[in-house]
Amino acid sequence: MAEEEYDYTKVPMTGSVEGIAKDAPEDSPRIGVYVCHCGINIKMTIDVPDLVKYAATLPNVALAQHYIFTCSDPGQNLIKADLAAGRVNRVIVAACSPRMHEPTFRGTCVSEGLNPFFFEMANIREHCSWPHGDFPKEATQKAKDLLRSAVARSALLELIEEKKVDVTPETLVIGSGVTGLYAALDIANSGYKVHLVEKNPSIGGHVAQLDRVFPKLDKATSILTPRMIDVGAHPNIDLMAYSEVENIEGYVGNYKATVKRKSRYVNEKCTGCGACEVACPVKDVPSEFDEGLSARTAVYLPFPNAVPPIYTVDPENCLLFKEGKCGDATLDAVKEGKAVPPCMAACKPNAIDFGMTEQQEELDVGTIIVATGYDIIDPTVSPEYKYGVYPNVITGLEFERLSAASGPTGGKIEINGKEPENVVFISCVGSRNKQTGYEHCSRVCCMYLAKQAHMVKEKLPDAKVTVCYQDVRAFGKGDEEFYGNIKIEGVGYRRGLPAEIYQKPGSDKVVVRAEDTLLGEPYEIEADLVVLGVGMKPNERVWDIVNMLKLSQSVDGFLMEAHPKLRPVDTATDGVFIAGCAASPKDIPDSIAQGKAAAAGSLVYLVQGTATIEPAISQINEEVCIGCGSCAEVCPYGALTLDEVSLVMTVNEAMCKGCGGCNAVCPSGAATMKHFRDRQIYSQIDALLQRAVPVEFVDLGGVEAAAPEEPAAPAETAETEGVEAEPVAAE
Amino acid sequence: MATEAEVEAEIEVEKEKPKTDIEGNTRNLMQSIKGKVEGSCLEKVEEKEVDIIPEALVIGGGIAGMYASLDIADAGFKVHVVERSATIGGHMAQLDKTFPTLDCSACILTPRMVDVSKHGNINLMSYSEVVGVEGSVGNFKVKVKRKPRYVIEELCNGCSLCEQACRFAYKFPNEFDENLGKRGSIYRPFPQAIPAVYCVDPVRCQMVKKGKCGKATIENVRAYLKEGKEDVEVPPCVAICGPKCIDFDMEEKIEEYNVGAIIVATGYDIIEPELMPEYKYGVLPNVITGLEFERYSNASGPTFGKIIVKGVDRLPKDAVFISCVGSRNKQTGFEYCSRVCCMYLAKHAHLLGEKVPDCKVTVLYQDVRAFGKGFEEFYDRVKGEGVNYRRGLASEIYQKPGSDRVVVRGEDTMLGEPFELEADIVVLGVGLKPSAGTAELLKMLGIEETTDHFAKEAHLKLRPVDTDIEGIFVTGCVQAPRDIPDSVAQGKAAAAASLALLAGGKVKIRTPVEEIDEELCLGCKSLREMADKMGA
Repeated sequence: MAEEEYDYTKVPMTGSVEGIAKDAPEDSPRIGVYVCHCGINIKMTIDVPDLVKYAATLPNVALAQHYIFTCSDPGQNLIKADLAAGRVNRVIVAACSPRMHEPTFRGTCVSEGLNPFFFEMANIREHCSWPHGDFPKEATQKAKDLLRSAVARSALLELIEEKKVDVTPETLVIGSGVTGLYAALDIANSGYKVHLVEKNPSIGGHVAQLDRVFPKLDKATSILTPRMIDVGAHPNIDLMAYSEVENIEGYVGNYKATVKRKSRYVNEKCTGCGACEVACPVKDVPSEFDEGLSARTAVYLPFPNAVPPIYTVDPENCLLFKEGKCGDATLDAVKEGKAVPPCMAACKPNAIDFGMTEQQEELDVGTIIVATGYDIIDPTVSPEYKYGVYPNVITGLEFERLSAASGPTGGKIEINGKEPENVVFISCVGSRNKQTGYEHCSRVCCMYLAKQAHMVKEKLPDAKVTVCYQDVRAFGKGDEEFYGNIKIEGVGYRRGLPAEIYQKPGSDKVVVRAEDTLLGEPYEIEADLVVLGVGMKPNERVWDIVNMLKLSQSVDGFLMEAHPKLRPVDTATDGVFIAGCAASPKDIPDSIAQGKAAAAGSLVYLVQGTATIEPAISQINEEVCIGCGSCAEVCPYGALTLDEVSLVMTVNEAMCKGCGGCNAVCPSGAATMKHFRDRQIYSQIDALLQRAVPVEFVDLGGVEAAAPEEPAAPAETAETEGVEAEPVAAE
Repeated sequence: MATEAEVEAEIEVEKEKPKTDIEGNTRNLMQSIKGKVEGSCLEKVEEKEVDIIPEALVIGGGIAGMYASLDIADAGFKVHVVERSATIGGHMAQLDKTFPTLDCSACILTPRMVDVSKHGNINLMSYSEVVGVEGSVGNFKVKVKRKPRYVIEELCNGCSLCEQACRFAYKFPNEFDENLGKRGSIYRPFPQAIPAVYCVDPVRCQMVKKGKCGKATIENVRAYLKEGKEDVEVPPCVAICGPKCIDFDMEEKIEEYNVGAIIVATGYDIIEPELMPEYKYGVLPNVITGLEFERYSNASGPTFGKIIVKGVDRLPKDAVFISCVGSRNKQTGFEYCSRVCCMYLAKHAHLLGEKVPDCKVTVLYQDVRAFGKGFEEFYDRVKGEGVNYRRGLASEIYQKPGSDRVVVRGEDTMLGEPFELEADIVVLGVGLKPSAGTAELLKMLGIEETTDHFAKEAHLKLRPVDTDIEGIFVTGCVQAPRDIPDSVAQGKAAAAASLALLAGGKVKIRTPVEEIDEELCLGCKSLREMADKMGA
């Protein structure tokens, strides 16, 4: 050990030591070790020159250098110079975490013609100098251990070629709410084909159901329908409404999707005239679009501005399907052309065709965007609010339908047949609630309740309006100003969520009982109408997609992004993006921004035309593989299949994510991971264990000082204390 | 056939009915139809298809601008990134940890900064400003002023010897540390700055301002560098510089670029807390802003991560965080909510509790806007860690007599009583406003501002990144305050919008006015002004 005190302020910026393998033959590993000071981050704790001297004594090391900032241009030039001169053919940088600069240094190696997989990093910052800042001697020793381990592995690294795959220049967008529409439009406008799949008969999603949107109070349909029409008419968009994705296979750039085209029993001759609707005898189906507040017929258009503007026969309610006959016509007779139900009789263009069947279409796409949106949380999770018990209690979405001019009341806010005099809005129904299981904040409810409170004041100026809240989350552009204005308009904001709602005896009003936490006293309000600010949960049909694409969910149940801060629309699967409320609750502008963000992500692949696939993946040794299939059973990505001819397993290199499961279960050792071979890992473990001296226990103060047992003397004699290491024979 | 009497009676009934002015509305509608019919004697207007230059300009190198440029560059198009300061990274580089994941901000940011600097398709122009824009979608002519660093970027290896040798080393306040740390005349904003090269502060360098530094003169420097004269007195920075990359003769340059699309991503500044003088910022040293707290908390900050506030000089035993400083306030003129403060104060409360476990932390709030993914859960966690949330903003802060602690006076609106909290430090949750110079830049581009002075988007709900000018997009905090994931999404959204243009290759534009009716023309030349501006 160096006798003098290590004074890190006197460490020169750079230095170099020749290693024991400097004269090794050209085809054997000649490792260059570059130790970084990282400014002061590493050299403040670790004796860098000592580490460099030690590195030079390790097997296969041709030279060791240190430099102040290895990731900088001049730092990288040191590495490049050694590579160009042929002094080294393996590179180790002992510095920060590979998550920080592995791509940087791999690039450095590639620029001088060295395969990037001959590069290795030893993390002596996050794993050494930072956590052990108070113990420099021990930290330096640990850095030597880490370096010894990296050197042992480096000698065993293999050349791996990065493969590129072609990208089919088409995208699949699942879900056509406002997010999916904008994602599709950006990609289509860039000149690429988009298949837009929507499970409902019309596109538009929930925004089509809204009356007005905050904070500018634009009419939702006025701003949405032009985009719906753009999508319907766009030459690059293959609109597949009333369809569902049944299966997805493949990998980035090469996804195969099977889409079920459900049968409307109405073909494209439909002009949307509505004569069938008038003729249909079934008139009592609760309208999904109107949240059950009105009824529709069995042959229906979900709403007037539906795109595509084609009617649909609902087989669950159409008498021909439900009962086998409608009037005098039986289903069989109709199919044979021998009878005609009322709808067909009324249809001039002869667009109704009960012989239509479900179709399946196969699509080849390069990227996928999941934009399946939300469902509202079922308000019965908070039974104290008596939703479904009293007709006075409705959800926010039902309010939108009452308020909308195209709704069941023509835009009149009425309950129990009359205009309400007292309206109470309740925030956070379902959300922010461990009991209901939805801990998350649903983000839009504060503002939609404020907007709805304003709509009540606009339509019913004499009504008394109260909003019960916990926090008012009016954070978006224009939102705070909107909230300020409605309080001036006379909307009363009372802090404290209600505890219960009960019927006023002998009346059709209800009583809302709550505690006003600012006044510090309980109160009761009579209300004609109570609107529940229900939150959002992921659309229930997304689970099928999750299984098909092997996507992850976050703790709150929404789809998980690759990184919550910096990759909000990417997923762990290359080429698959998530956007809008499928990823987390959000309002319209943020949903559109995410839809466009996902489009950008897709366009990067589509425009480049190729995608690189991760090379550090599984490899099957065909001579050893017995085709038992144990690996395929544990593979979460479905990347392993049995080749029927040779009876060995094969790896789909684009689907394999390199998790290592196959390697772990393979009984014959045929499945191994490239870049993480067993022998590479064992060599690292052996190298780490070589410092087999009793470890001094450092009193960290506060840690319980159980008397450390004397560790048993290691069976094999190994070399003593670090620095004067004799070269250890390579494994 | 109605009798006169019946008609009269009807009229009476009508008079009683509440007026909805059906007549007036109908009249208006008739006028409007008439106008349209007359106006339909339209002439055919020619639309011309022009090629789009397959390059983009991104103004601003913060997180939004970086992500916009990376996506466009990855798709294969050239991007010019213009950043006013000496480094990209923006404010995110100053942060300690980011909510709600508590990732180290620089750790997730710097790899992307390296990506931007190394990308073959990105032309990074730091220490530069956009000074002129002409043209229209697909064909913008942009003038970029390259400010002189007095250091040759290609030669500097970032060795930092000049910084240490400078006669004024560590004498001036360091903007990156919110003026809590020190730097010299030649400096790098922070060690991981990209480009990783040094920069001379023209205001604070003797050689630049006066042509001499100590005994060294500018002529000496020229002789030393260009003629190789060794025996002249040169300033210590030049003497110690290995690559000889310090060049005091550098001049401002104006470069011109032709691009097809422009993205404005110029970000925010914090609202100056002096607008609320009752909080005594700048008067009492105990009172600091949220951004100053980030620098104290950051391990590479002026106190290496110890929360020892200048002027207080000890670890705090009591800390008070105040929300909505500047924001939601008609008096200060910033009526809007700044969106990120509730969460960053919760994060600060958590970090303080972690670093100084004995410190008692109180957060004063109006509403807790923990709306994003993982935010509510983080807020719950912070409360569980013992941070005390009290509803009601402080009305004043004064110095405790005979002590260096302060007293924060407010009213707890839930208990319904006033309180006074003694504190060692008070952190003000300052809001965000558009960065300095935004108004001038927007004017240069022809983009309007919304009433809150942020950039006006084409449609608040449906076109959050487009502007009224085709081909120019806004993204990130220049359009409205937002946090990192939303800024990243917006950056990518602007990239998508740009790619839709660039990948299309062509755009239709209306040909300009060609005829001027000479009888009506007054010769006022306003048309010429407009045409000049448009580059027609």
